[in-house]
Amino acid sequence: MASSDTRTPVHRAVGLGSAKSGSAHWWSQRITAAALVPLMLWLTGSLISLAGRDYHAFIGWLHNPITVVLLSLLLIALFRHTVLGLEVIAEDYIHARGLRIVTIGLLRFAGVILAASGIFAMLVIAFGGY
Amino acid sequence: MIIRSSKQQPKNTLLKRFPVSHNFGVAPASRTEPGKSWPAPASATCIKAIKVYRYDPDSGGNPRLDTFHVDLDRCGPMLLDALIKIKNEVDSTLTFRRSCREGVCGSCAMNIDGTNWLACTRPLDETADPVTVYPLNNMPVIKDLVPDQTHVFAQYHSVKPWIQTKEPAPPDRERLQSPEEREALNGYYECILCFCCTSGCPSHWWNGERFLGPAALLQAYRWLADSRDEATEERLDALQDPFKLYRCHTILNCTRTCPKGLQPGKAIAEIKRMIVAREH
Amino acid sequence: MATTNRPLAPHIQIYRPQLTSVLSFSHRVTGIALSAGSVLLVIWLITAAAGEQAFYPLQSFLGSWAGLALLFIWTYSLFYHLCNGIRHLLWDSVIGLELASVYLSGWIVVFASAILTAGAWIAASLMAP
Repeated sequence: MASSDTRTPVHRAVGLGSAKSGSAHWWSQRITAAALVPLMLWLTGSLISLAGRDYHAFIGWLHNPITVVLLSLLLIALFRHTVLGLEVIAEDYIHARGLRIVTIGLLRFAGVILAASGIFAMLVIAFGGY
Repeated sequence: MIIRSSKQQPKNTLLKRFPVSHNFGVAPASRTEPGKSWPAPASATCIKAIKVYRYDPDSGGNPRLDTFHVDLDRCGPMLLDALIKIKNEVDSTLTFRRSCREGVCGSCAMNIDGTNWLACTRPLDETADPVTVYPLNNMPVIKDLVPDQTHVFAQYHSVKPWIQTKEPAPPDRERLQSPEEREALNGYYECILCFCCTSGCPSHWWNGERFLGPAALLQAYRWLADSRDEATEERLDALQDPFKLYRCHTILNCTRTCPKGLQPGKAIAEIKRMIVAREH
Repeated sequence: MATTNRPLAPHIQIYRPQLTSVLSFSHRVTGIALSAGSVLLVIWLITAAAGEQAFYPLQSFLGSWAGLALLFIWTYSLFYHLCNGIRHLLWDSVIGLELASVYLSGWIVVFASAILTAGAWIAASLMAP
């Protein structure tokens, strides 16, 4: 408690007051989690079936329409869930507000770029004459 | 292996503390140093060593860990009895809070063998050898085992733990509540505000300035669940904050450590459910 | 009155690790490992789109001992985070928050994730030509 902070203890506890938001991130994390349960099990099963096989087997798997649809949904849900989770970690451990906001901004940016790149690469393989 | 109630101690201890150094992240002025060792009386028949965190604000210096040796055959059964005996017979400067000596006031909450409990309801034969006694975690220490609870009480105050109504009370009787509505308060009204849960919550360690902690949130839910209270909307608005409420990640150290067997984790889950319920 | 000089009582330095805090911390650590894995997944797709020549180095690394070790860590993290994630979703539905249920579900998660990881690796080694 700095000597220049003369706020009453209750004022310190209340701070700037409630943001009146926060449940949207919490809910989104849970929805993507529920979606990822079957999707990641599907991905694991697919990777097991591709174990030890070559490039052409992998391309063949990506030509399957079910793969295209499920993998797109998976990448969207996975990166949304991942970014939300890493955001929470940043909020927990980074106490300097400016650095925390910048880190969260970079995480969101990276998440969008990675998801978009993954979906694009997958579509290129599926429809690009591979 | 399956802990059924919070007073159950684990049979085996794989790790007594997290694998970090003793002074990991501790400010230099807060580092605990080795302290004095007080010998047992010559006539002692059953000696137990008790390591106690000491801090003297008058002499300055760092906190230290003193070791006392107590004759269990001439001491009451609980850790508080041992601390009182030490204060009476060995070192009268040992300072700690205590009152009811029966687990209902919450004064003697402290960290015993690594977890938070009330000293008056922790039997000495359920403690390790030697017992280590620290003040409640992450709180400024006034002296020895007495923490400064100003901030956590202020957080409790900030959830407005009193009835708030819009309709006036009936002129001829009290505000009525059915038995089922009264049941909804069971498990929440019994909190003695010992703050064992809040001081044991890792999220409160990292963000205690802004995260309200399990004790304040349990009481917030006690008022949300009270059918006579009419400020539900304002209470939920005040809680819906990424730091005040949503720093809770369901770690559940709170439920594990509550000396009254309450479930703060459940109360917080109910608050989160209420907030989502009004959006769907 | 030296209110500003009060020492802070120790917390993580002395608090006993319990199933509650250890499994929660592991959930976070496995989450971070899975984040790294999701980046690897995208890299895998991009190298595949770049052609067989670009794909080969990554694929052969994943088949090497180091790569297999990383994949093992990733699959264990996945199954642990998945099982514990389901446990979290149940808690969010206010189910199983009593201490006995927390401990029972916690041990189930620990054993189920080990069994599922072993099962996945046995299945993969049986499938691989």
